[in-house]
Amino acid sequence: MPSLALESVAHVYARGNVRALDGVSLHIEAGERLAIVGQNGSGKTTLVRHLDGLLRPSAGRVLLDGTDVAKRTVAQLAHSVGLVFQDPESQIFAGSVRAEVEFGPRNLGMRAAALRAAVDEALSAVGLAGDERTNPYDLGSARQKLLALASVLAMQTPVLVLDEPTTGQDLRGVATVRAVIEAAHAAGRTVIAISHDMEFVASAFDRVLVMRAGRLILDGPPASVFAEPAWEALRSTYLEPTLAARAGARLGLGATPTDAALIAALRGSEPGPA
Amino acid sequence: MLTIESVTYRYAGAPRPSLYDVSIDLGKGEVVGVVGASEAGKTTLCLVASGLAPRTVGGVLDGRILLDGAETAPLAMHQLAERVGIVFASPATQLSGVAGTVYEEIAFGPMNLGLPRAEVIARTEGALAALGIEDLAARDPSRLSGGQQQLVAIGGLLAMRPTHLVLDEPTAQLDPAGTRLVADALARLAAGGASILVAEHKTDLLAAICTRVVVLEAGRIALAGPAAEVLSDPRLPELGVAAPSFVRLRRAATAAGLAKAAVVRLAEAVR
Amino acid sequence: MLAAVTTVLAVWLGGIWGPAVLAGIAVLLPAVAGRMLGRLLRTSLLLSLPIAISVLVVNLFFYPAGQQILFQLGPIRGTTEGLSFALETLARIGAISGAITLFYLTTSPSELVLDLERRGVSPRVAFVALASVQTVPAMVERAATITAAQRARGLDTEGSIWRRVRGVLPLAGPVLLGSVAQVEERTMALESRAFTRPGRRTLLWQPPDSLPQRIARWLLLILVPALFVARIAGWL
Repeated sequence: MPSLALESVAHVYARGNVRALDGVSLHIEAGERLAIVGQNGSGKTTLVRHLDGLLRPSAGRVLLDGTDVAKRTVAQLAHSVGLVFQDPESQIFAGSVRAEVEFGPRNLGMRAAALRAAVDEALSAVGLAGDERTNPYDLGSARQKLLALASVLAMQTPVLVLDEPTTGQDLRGVATVRAVIEAAHAAGRTVIAISHDMEFVASAFDRVLVMRAGRLILDGPPASVFAEPAWEALRSTYLEPTLAARAGARLGLGATPTDAALIAALRGSEPGPA
Repeated sequence: MLTIESVTYRYAGAPRPSLYDVSIDLGKGEVVGVVGASEAGKTTLCLVASGLAPRTVGGVLDGRILLDGAETAPLAMHQLAERVGIVFASPATQLSGVAGTVYEEIAFGPMNLGLPRAEVIARTEGALAALGIEDLAARDPSRLSGGQQQLVAIGGLLAMRPTHLVLDEPTAQLDPAGTRLVADALARLAAGGASILVAEHKTDLLAAICTRVVVLEAGRIALAGPAAEVLSDPRLPELGVAAPSFVRLRRAATAAGLAKAAVVRLAEAVR
Repeated sequence: MLAAVTTVLAVWLGGIWGPAVLAGIAVLLPAVAGRMLGRLLRTSLLLSLPIAISVLVVNLFFYPAGQQILFQLGPIRGTTEGLSFALETLARIGAISGAITLFYLTTSPSELVLDLERRGVSPRVAFVALASVQTVPAMVERAATITAAQRARGLDTEGSIWRRVRGVLPLAGPVLLGSVAQVEERTMALESRAFTRPGRRTLLWQPPDSLPQRIARWLLLILVPALFVARIAGWL
């Protein structure tokens, strides 16, 4: 499983003369669960598009397992990094759910039994196993998003990048996404997700990157990114810490980014026998 | 007052109705939230409430919809548009695409109504003020952020001076700043007496602005009542709805066996 | 208005000098006044160059009534009459293309459409005209996103021709399907802003129209039939 790294990567969009990424340096170990948060326009999407070669740095380097990816095409990098786009309508074109999911792995050279197995696994992971022959446009938008997720899962890439996977999902949809991330992590894959949902970020990931105006302003585990000392930085980019974090701070219990952490801390501070 | 009375609605060509015997009242100054699992009927309810179903979308509607006691069935879409406005999740597709400035975009509706010029101007400026976006008036709508575009879309509807506003997941595509912009705008409108029906997944948002909440399940109303009550109902998770953060936290604390005192401390802290 | 009249006149006026003077008055003067002479000349020349060259060559060498030989290139002869005719035609082309270019450079499409609507064109036609222009940038951006999404799934857009042909459906599919879905949503948004209300709509903006402009327009309108009559009567 490869590691990923960005070395002083800058990216300037020619037309607007906008510095979408301003000297970002970052190392991601194989198997990490990493969340990227920030306002729209902070550079989150620009950053992840560098990981599979869709965008090339205007300055700096992008490394996959220590080697510069500059010479490799997007089609080649797609073997290592799978990127799920936010809007499923940007990619759906097949007449059936199964055909749609087959597209990615087929492009990577999978055939016959291996292809069937990969598609079956991806479909059941997102709960679409019974809808193989359904026309994707007959699915509601939330399930279309899960379809887009399955279509990249089936590619079985060691690195999985998800762009706002829980947006527009109901409770069950969010649970499905969490389960997918857990399973990928258990299999040793690296999972990177862009999200606006702070609760999801605090509870499903080991590391959080906060971006603002093309730069990383915070980088650490949820406990430190949502702890009180970081609030000023978070609020400077209109992000709010989770309710659990705020409650924990108010009660003087230290860093409690998630509900579970807060409850554990409360229990720890209760008087009486353990 | 918008009254949806025993409405059953089926999309054209669909094997089953998407709404079954749904009844909802939306009174003056009320903010009613609609929640439910995906495909439970939230969008359909919004389309029915605004009249787009069945007029523009087709399909078959049984039951009645009344505006201030009068049936809306004989009204055409452009007549209903002045009474009930609707906002969708995607900011970009709601822009008319022919306005070079936010001002013209918001004036689009009143212009279509053929109102006298002075009236068009008055309504446009009123909408801009109600949302606090006067400073965006000269900007190009296609270059605004998603949140700003949603405000422009809402403004475009306010300029129609509808008595009721229906919003279908208005913050779905917005980042936290955009969500806050829209939520504040809705709260302000509600405080000013607007009647709002808003479908959302974000129960925290609904907890902050709704007076009542309705939970849909497979096209039927599963729960309905005052917002605080419905949003703390333990049945929400099995209905596919995430409870608001503070409800979840309180519930988890109790489930973890924390002493009552601790739970109370917690409840205080999250207020 | 100016462009239309100039075009008509250019065709009617005989000789070389007619169109040339016309071009001078109707095209170059306004261009100088609007400070766009350079752009006008460049664009206009660019537009008319191909046809100008072919007119010159064809008429110089192949003018049927050509008698007086100017020079000879092997079996092909250039005639004076041919040259004269060619120059006449070139003058006309110059005037017409200049006029059209001037129109194109000075008129904003949305202002034109709104003005036409004010004079009676249906609001829906006006809307379609304007909206078609505005949707192009959004479609281009969407096409780019679709391409990126499919490339991220391994679609090879950098390989052989055969591979690229195979990529047409995954690229064109979402564009078309998405457009259809968007049209539906857009229609609903428009309807909820009374777009389908029959009748005229109020227009906020009125293009500035001064008395001199109105007089000029009437004069131009009178000029065409007047010159027509003059031509027939043999005065011009």
